[in-house]
Amino acid sequence: MTQIYPIAHLLGGVILLCAFALLSQRRISAMITLYQAEAITLSAAAFWQGLAQGAPSLYLTGLITLGIKAILLPIGLRRIVWRFGLTRANESALPLGLSLVMGVGLIGVAVLVVLPTTVSALSLTREDLAISLSIVLLGLLVMTSRRHALAQVIGFLSLENGLVLAATGMPDMPFVAELTASLLVLLGVLVVGVFLFRMNEHFDSLDLAGLEDIERRGR
Amino acid sequence: MSFALAAICLPLFATVFLALAGSPLLGARINLGLSTAVFALTLGVVSHPGHGLVAADPLGAIFGVLTGFVSLTIGVSNIGFVRCEQAGFSHRQWRVYHALCQMVLGSTLLGLYADNIGLLWAATEGATLACIFGVGLPRTATALEAAWKYFILGGVGIALALFGTMLVYLAAQPALGPGLPALSLIALSAHAGRLDGSLLTLAFVFLLFGYGTKAALVPLHGWLPDAYAEGPAPLTTALSGLTLNVALIAILRFRHLLQANRLEGGAAMPPGPFLLVLGLASILLTAFSLSRRRDSRRFFGFSSIEHSGLAVFAFGVGGATAIFGGLLHMVIHTLIKSALFQALIRAASFRGGAGAGQFGFSHLRGMMAANKYLAWVLGACVFALTGLPPSGLFVSEFIIISQTIQREPLAALPLGLGLALCALAVIRTIGPMVIGPPPKPVTPTKAGVTAHLASLHLILAFGVAFAMPWFLVRALSAIAVALR
Repeated sequence: MTQIYPIAHLLGGVILLCAFALLSQRRISAMITLYQAEAITLSAAAFWQGLAQGAPSLYLTGLITLGIKAILLPIGLRRIVWRFGLTRANESALPLGLSLVMGVGLIGVAVLVVLPTTVSALSLTREDLAISLSIVLLGLLVMTSRRHALAQVIGFLSLENGLVLAATGMPDMPFVAELTASLLVLLGVLVVGVFLFRMNEHFDSLDLAGLEDIERRGR
Repeated sequence: MSFALAAICLPLFATVFLALAGSPLLGARINLGLSTAVFALTLGVVSHPGHGLVAADPLGAIFGVLTGFVSLTIGVSNIGFVRCEQAGFSHRQWRVYHALCQMVLGSTLLGLYADNIGLLWAATEGATLACIFGVGLPRTATALEAAWKYFILGGVGIALALFGTMLVYLAAQPALGPGLPALSLIALSAHAGRLDGSLLTLAFVFLLFGYGTKAALVPLHGWLPDAYAEGPAPLTTALSGLTLNVALIAILRFRHLLQANRLEGGAAMPPGPFLLVLGLASILLTAFSLSRRRDSRRFFGFSSIEHSGLAVFAFGVGGATAIFGGLLHMVIHTLIKSALFQALIRAASFRGGAGAGQFGFSHLRGMMAANKYLAWVLGACVFALTGLPPSGLFVSEFIIISQTIQREPLAALPLGLGLALCALAVIRTIGPMVIGPPPKPVTPTKAGVTAHLASLHLILAFGVAFAMPWFLVRALSAIAVALR
């Protein structure tokens, strides 16, 4: 099993790269594609950790990630983009160059914070943790630097990928699959929430359905 | 099955049935029945705390009883709210509303009773999700916006708290090894000295910001006033106020891990300064923003931020006495604030409805003309929030301030200033609300059972503060000494 470290690091690195590339995208559909690539790599990382640690529950995490985050959520997001014609609606509050520089700075902060504080932990966990903290911070940066709700959501989804990566890297942590699943509930609600919110922006109010219902019951 | 598990599972399972069937009034009655049963179960938890993943320690048990009691009185006044607002929502929305009430109750109890930081996190997430749905329930543009704001802030807070939870697990590896014990609060606190101190500090920063979002500490408070002002009132104000306690207790427990680790020679940083800064910021920001609020729910939402900040400040001061004061403050504030919101909802229903936008101060002027009893109760609730005697909060604030002068003298002046400004802003609202001229001619109305319940809350708060029963003194002191 001498390949455990290099492959785990390679997968973590690819996820980090995707999270970083989110910062530079101008189109929402490109962000969704990147997120999808990130989720596929994450599920591969979960399978790999399951193999390396001999923990079958991590396979479940990998399967959930693959099925919902790599396939279902991107489909939902693309539908939202298509339904409301949002291909170009992706304003950034910061110049792209500046946000890239800040992203590099955040990765530096994550490495500087995590590596000295985790001297006693296993080296695989240490570096995984540094990578996941970078992804979490990059996700926060995407959420703060983008004005559009959908771009913020993608930032949050990417942030959550960092959390799952950290959870799979913990040595034999109980409840990883359960925690991943309950996070997914949050994500599902988020995507549906965007849908409702956009509806609201477009039609001014969602009250109509409720009013009709009341009228019908009244008669 | 232990009492604790039953108290958690009963409302959570009932969620499914309440969401599927029932008329609005039937749902409200079932809600009341469930809350009564849960209150009885929480009383049982005190003597039989259970074991394993759901094992209530004395702190959880005390706040469990408080949660059960408050949810019971909310259940009673909720019936009045449903009667008054019945036309405002469709049947389906009412079902969702009742289900969400039980979900918040179940998650809150899970957060209080869980002896596992993973479960604690899941409970916080469940309560947050339920509140978000509740806030967005009216489906108006402002409600959806408030729900969205809550979602983004709450979601980030939940994510940060999970990261902190994982870091605590990692910090526990040298002492407890892989597996469930490394997530158990009791085991963590028993081996606090052998945890990895520097990793624990890093974890605490994430946990503080994660649970601090749920406890509405400045600068993470943005969701609370909006959420209080937009959702259906009993759910988003009175019931969700109970979940603030879960977050505050979580912060207290993690603070204790850091402190114990430090005292036993670990490398953790002192947690006090973090908590003092966030607590003071919350109090001062509230002090300067209270006087500009026109909507009463938003106003008292800000007041919740102040009291949450004061509890965190007390935990930051440290020492058994200050923590005793902080816990007492949380108990009394919960009693008074839930009484206030129940009286407020009743008052708003006198003026035509208790929906969003009907809680403006200008709308609620001169309650004396409608009902003298309710007006006095409402005035007494608001006055109790100021912390002036004979309010119960006077005792807890006195303890906290005297401990601050003793242990953190530099923080005493800004604390006093903040509290005085808040009290001033709160006291200014009493006059117009109670004896001012009503906005339009009103006919006298019956106060209803809500007013009696609010008085009961106030009497209990007074009793707990000035004539605390010996068993409660002993239990709270033991908790404060253990968590100092």
